[in-house]
Amino acid sequence: MRPRHKIFASIWLLSVLLAGCSAYPRFVGPNVDPSGGGLNSAYPEADPQVGPDGSFILFTSDRRGSRDVFLYDTKNTRLLDLPGLNSLDTLSEHPSSSADGKWIVFTADRQGTRDVYVYNRETQQQQNLTQSLNTDVSNPTISADGSTIAFEANAGGQWDILVYNRVTGRPIENLPLAPR
Amino acid sequence: MVTRTLRANVLPGVPATTTSKPSRRQRLCAVTALFLLSACGGGPVVSSRATLNSRYSDEQPSLSSNGRFLAFVSDRHQRREILLYDLQAQQFVSLPNLRGLTFLPESPSLSATARYLVYTSVVRGRSEVQLYDQETQRPLSLTATYDGLVRRPSVSPDGRYVTFETSRRGQWDVEVIDRGPEVELDTPATPTR
Repeated sequence: MRPRHKIFASIWLLSVLLAGCSAYPRFVGPNVDPSGGGLNSAYPEADPQVGPDGSFILFTSDRRGSRDVFLYDTKNTRLLDLPGLNSLDTLSEHPSSSADGKWIVFTADRQGTRDVYVYNRETQQQQNLTQSLNTDVSNPTISADGSTIAFEANAGGQWDILVYNRVTGRPIENLPLAPR
Repeated sequence: MVTRTLRANVLPGVPATTTSKPSRRQRLCAVTALFLLSACGGGPVVSSRATLNSRYSDEQPSLSSNGRFLAFVSDRHQRREILLYDLQAQQFVSLPNLRGLTFLPESPSLSATARYLVYTSVVRGRSEVQLYDQETQRPLSLTATYDGLVRRPSVSPDGRYVTFETSRRGQWDVEVIDRGPEVELDTPATPTR
């Protein structure tokens, strides 16, 4: 091989090797904070949802004796307070948040009845969105702009999807939900 | 009469009176073609004003940032699949290659304009977190070499970060993937559709 070709071959090999060393995609890893103040703890964590730019992670955890909703600030590596959202007699699951973190929807099982709740972080109030629905519900999700909420309901003996307007608290009108 | 009308539409210059009944061979070919086309199953049929729910299970909804697109898991086409519904146009959006390249998909999650779709799919008996890009129309595994079970993934609105549940430590924990600063971000200012 000519010296010139050797140089080109060396450059090509080096570029291939460097490409293989790319740091992304990168797993941050389930780092554990035994104090219970971090993202992961000595107890199970579930249902993570990551916010815009990875700025926060919403999830559930058993770390306080009941399944609660937690909001983790990834920039400042600390949990944010959610006053009035969790309670000892409630099993909360499947949280979903708007992009600004103001609105959080989740299911809460209270005394054997599960409903979809909407929590406002500014007023620290929550509203039962499915109080009038006499059926089981699951997997709520809210759009990033906070306008729309969708969830599962099994009124017909199977899971169907319902779509609600967050402002009115009622189903979106004129949406063809039923099968033909 | 129907045959005559269809033939007249396809070949306007040909008098309708020249049409004849299709032969047995032509009918066989037509039936075979219809069977093969139906077996392709290249995703949901984009129709005018389709209903969101079916007579089968429709579950695990995920909304795009402005609430226009809704991804969910459905059993309506005899095989579990992820469907994307446009709530504004009230019709399904085609996701080329997704149905054929995913097996038992679960937990879909959408980025801001629904460009990125993250979900789990079973590969060789093991669940993987995959990312489908509507630009490339191909799924990409994010956890092919990951050590541990994975479930319930979620993608950030911009598409850069993905979280999921991991069993790596022997219990369910939260794992985060940073796809890096080089990925094309999905922002509402640059909608893909």
